[in-house]
Amino acid sequence: MPVLRSRKILPVQPKPRKAQANIDPPATPTQGREQPATHSSPPSLTPSPKTLGSVSGSAPLLRRSLRLSTKASSNAGQDSVLEAEERIERRNGDVSRKRKLSVDNDVGFESGEDDESGEDEGVLSLRSGKRVTKKGPFGDGNGSGGDVEFEIDRKGKSMLVEESEDTEKPERSKERVNVKGKRRYSREEKGKWKLLVESALDSKDESLVDGSVSDVELLAQEVNLSDEKPSKKNNRRTSQGRMERFRDTARQNASRFAHFNTQEEDDNILSMEAESEIPSEELEEKGVEDWPGPFSTAMKIIRDRAANLNVRQGSSSSDKVQSLQIKWVPQKCKRKDWSKRLPPSLLDLSLRVLVDNADAIASLAHVPDALRHKLCHMLCDSRRMDSNFFDLLLNGSPTEIRLKDCSWLTEEQFTQCFEKCDTTNLTILQLDFCGHCFADYNLPSTLARSPNSLPALTTLSLTGAYRLSDAGLSALVSSAPALRSVNLSQCSFLTHSAIDILATSLASVLLELFIDDCQSIDAMLVLPSLKKLEHLEVLSVAGLESVTDSFIKEFLIARGDGIKELILMDCWKLTDSSLKIIAETCSNLRALDIGNISKLTDTSFGYLASGCRSLQSLKLCHNAFSDDAIAAFLEMSGEVLKELALNNVGKVGLNTALSLARRSRNLVSLDLSWCRNLTHEATGLIVDSCLSLRVLKLFGCSQITDVFLYGHSNAKVEIIGLKLSPFLEHIKTPAQGPFQYSSV
Amino acid sequence: MKRKDTVKLISAEEMEFIIDKDAAMVSQTIGGFAEMELGEVTFPEISAVILEKICQYFYWALQYSRGKETEFHIEPELTLELMMAPNYLHT
Repeated sequence: MPVLRSRKILPVQPKPRKAQANIDPPATPTQGREQPATHSSPPSLTPSPKTLGSVSGSAPLLRRSLRLSTKASSNAGQDSVLEAEERIERRNGDVSRKRKLSVDNDVGFESGEDDESGEDEGVLSLRSGKRVTKKGPFGDGNGSGGDVEFEIDRKGKSMLVEESEDTEKPERSKERVNVKGKRRYSREEKGKWKLLVESALDSKDESLVDGSVSDVELLAQEVNLSDEKPSKKNNRRTSQGRMERFRDTARQNASRFAHFNTQEEDDNILSMEAESEIPSEELEEKGVEDWPGPFSTAMKIIRDRAANLNVRQGSSSSDKVQSLQIKWVPQKCKRKDWSKRLPPSLLDLSLRVLVDNADAIASLAHVPDALRHKLCHMLCDSRRMDSNFFDLLLNGSPTEIRLKDCSWLTEEQFTQCFEKCDTTNLTILQLDFCGHCFADYNLPSTLARSPNSLPALTTLSLTGAYRLSDAGLSALVSSAPALRSVNLSQCSFLTHSAIDILATSLASVLLELFIDDCQSIDAMLVLPSLKKLEHLEVLSVAGLESVTDSFIKEFLIARGDGIKELILMDCWKLTDSSLKIIAETCSNLRALDIGNISKLTDTSFGYLASGCRSLQSLKLCHNAFSDDAIAAFLEMSGEVLKELALNNVGKVGLNTALSLARRSRNLVSLDLSWCRNLTHEATGLIVDSCLSLRVLKLFGCSQITDVFLYGHSNAKVEIIGLKLSPFLEHIKTPAQGPFQYSSV
Repeated sequence: MKRKDTVKLISAEEMEFIIDKDAAMVSQTIGGFAEMELGEVTFPEISAVILEKICQYFYWALQYSRGKETEFHIEPELTLELMMAPNYLHT
C-alpha cells in the first residue's frame, strides 16, 4: 500500500518515493498516495500547532490529506480540498523529512476541525497513508473500519477513491475487527480520531507503537473531544465530490506508484522514532543557504556555473553539452595504440595453469600466503576447489587461510581436514559461505578444540554460518582470545547476546565488526555491547533494518572518534540527522557506505563535506542526491577521495563530471553505473583528467558510445561494464593484511 | 654493440642467460638492476630451468606487445616455482 511518507514530497521529484506497488489484489492504493502530492491535505490538516503545538505539520499531512479526501465516506468539501492543496504546496516547499507522529496525531485530530478545510470527518489519512474513516454514517462498523483501513492501506489495498470502498469498509472492518487489539475498540467508542492515531502506530511496529500509543491516545483524546461533533457532519457532505477529484488525480499518477517500495510501508513507524528528533530536524529544514558555510558556498558556485553556462551559450541543454564538448575531444589518433595490449604477466599465466591443474599440485610448501590466496580465489571462482586442495592448504602449520566460498565443503570434509590441522600459527581464517559445513556441533572438534586453541588468530570471517548459535560463538571466542576482526555477516541465528559475548571478552581488542544481514540481531539491543568496544574501527550493519537514527546517534557519540569505516548500506530508516551525527563525531572516517538509504537528501552532503575531511571512500547506491550537491561535495573534499561509487544515483550529470575532472586527482576507482544523464563527453573528460583512475564502472550506461571508449587517452583505466568483457577481475580481493586500517 | 644492448641474467647454478635489453625491460625490476649493475644480474634463488622459462617469457611478451598474440605454454611441472619467481620480478 502506498505509504505516504511524512517526508517532504518535492514536486520535482522524478520518482516518487512514496510510490508503492499495490501488490495485494484488492489494492488500489495508488490513488491515495498520489493524492498527497497533488492534493492538499484534507481538512484534518489544520495546522498542527493549533492542536498540539507540534511542529511538523506540513509534510506528513500531505499524505493524510489525500487519504482523507479520497477516502470514502468522509465528506471532504471543496474548500477543504483547496485548502489542502495550498497546504501541500507549502509543504512541498519544505525539505522536511520529519515524520512526526504528532503530525499524524494532528491529522487525526484536525480532521474534526472545520477551520481550514471543509472536511472534517470522514477519513483521516494517516501518515502511512492509511485512512481511517470516521464513524459517521457507518457507525461502529467503521470504527473498526478505521483500523481496517489502515491495514488495507498498508497492504496497498486502500481503494481510496473508489466509491465502492465506502461500501467495502464496513465489510472490511468486520474482518479486521478481530485483528486489531482491544485498544481499538475502546477507541472506537470515543471516536475515530483515535483509531487513526492508533492505526498509524500499529501499522508499523507493534512494540514501538505501544510505547507511543498511550501518549498519542492522550493527545488524541484531548483533541477529539473538542472536535468531534461539528466535524462529522461536514465531512460527510464533502466527501463525494472529493472522491471524484481524487480518483482522477490518482489515475493520472498511477504510473508513479508502479514501483513497490517496502520502505514506504514502514515509514510511519519511523514517525514514532522521529518524534524525539523533531526539534533537531526542524533545524535542518532549512534551505541551501543554511547549510554549513563552505558547502553552501560551493553549492552556489555550482549553481551559478550552470546558470552562467546557460546564459552564455543559450538556454538549451545542448549548449551545456557543447561547452563540455569543447573541452574534451576524443583522441582519434590514439586508436592504433589501443591495439597494443599489455601481455598478461607471467604470474597470471602460471596461476592459470596451476588452476587448471590444481589436482596435480603435490604441495604448497614455500608458497607465500599472497599467492595461496590468489590460487584459492581463482579456484573458488572456477568451482574447482575441493577437499584435496583444502588439505594442501591446511598442511603444515598454515598462517593464513582465505576461502571466499566454502559452499562446496561438506561437514565431514571440514571436520576431517581441520581435525589434523595445526592451528597454532593461524592468524587469518576466512571461511565465507560456510553454512553448509559449519554448525555448533562440529566446533569442538575443529575450531574450538580447547580454550586458546587458536592463540594467534586475529582475523576471523565466518559469513553465512547460519547454523552458528550464540553458544557456538561463545566457544569460538574462548578459543581465540586474540581476535581483532570478526565478520559474522549473514549468520542469521545469532542474536544480540552473541555480540554481548564478543564485547565482554574482546572489548579492548576488537577492531572490526561486521554483522551484515544478521536478521535476528536487533540494533538497539546490541547498542550497549557495541559501546563497550573501545577501539572499534570498522562497523558494518548493512541490511539490519533495526538500525535507526537514534542507534547511530548513541553509538557514535560514544565511539565515533575511533571509527574509520561505517557501512550502513540498506539501513533505509536513516535520515539526514544520522549523517549530521556522523559528520560531527567521526572525524577520522575514511570510508562510508550509504547505499540504498533513500531518505537522505542533499543536506547530508553538506554535513559530510564539512565534517568528514579525510573521507577516502564513499559509496552511494540508489540515493536521491542532486547533481549540484555531489558536485559541491567533490569541490570541497574531492582531493582525498580514492574511491567513489555513484551507482544508480540518477541525477548525476554534468556538474558532477566537471567537479570530478577538476578535483579528483587521487581517484582510483569510480562507479558511474546507471547514471544515464552522463554523456560521453562527460565521461571522457573525467577519464582524461583523473590521472590516477584505474577502474571505471559503467554498467547500464548504454548512452556512452564508442566515441568515448576509443577516444579517451587514459591508458591505464580499465572500463568495465560497457562491452561484454571479463569484469570479475577487478572485484576487490580481501585485504592482504589482517586488518584494513591498523597494523598488527 | 651487442654488449650494450644485452643483459646477462645469472641463475643459481651460475648458468648465464644473455638476452636483449628490450626483453629484459619487460620486467621493471630487471630493467632497474641492469642499469645499475653493468648489464649483469644474479638470481641466487632462481634455478636455471626457471630462469630459462622467464627469458622465454620476456621474448614472448615483447612479441605480444608488438601485435603477435600467441599462446605461451608453460609445462605444469614448472608452474609452481615459476609462479613464485615473477612475484618479485614484476614489481
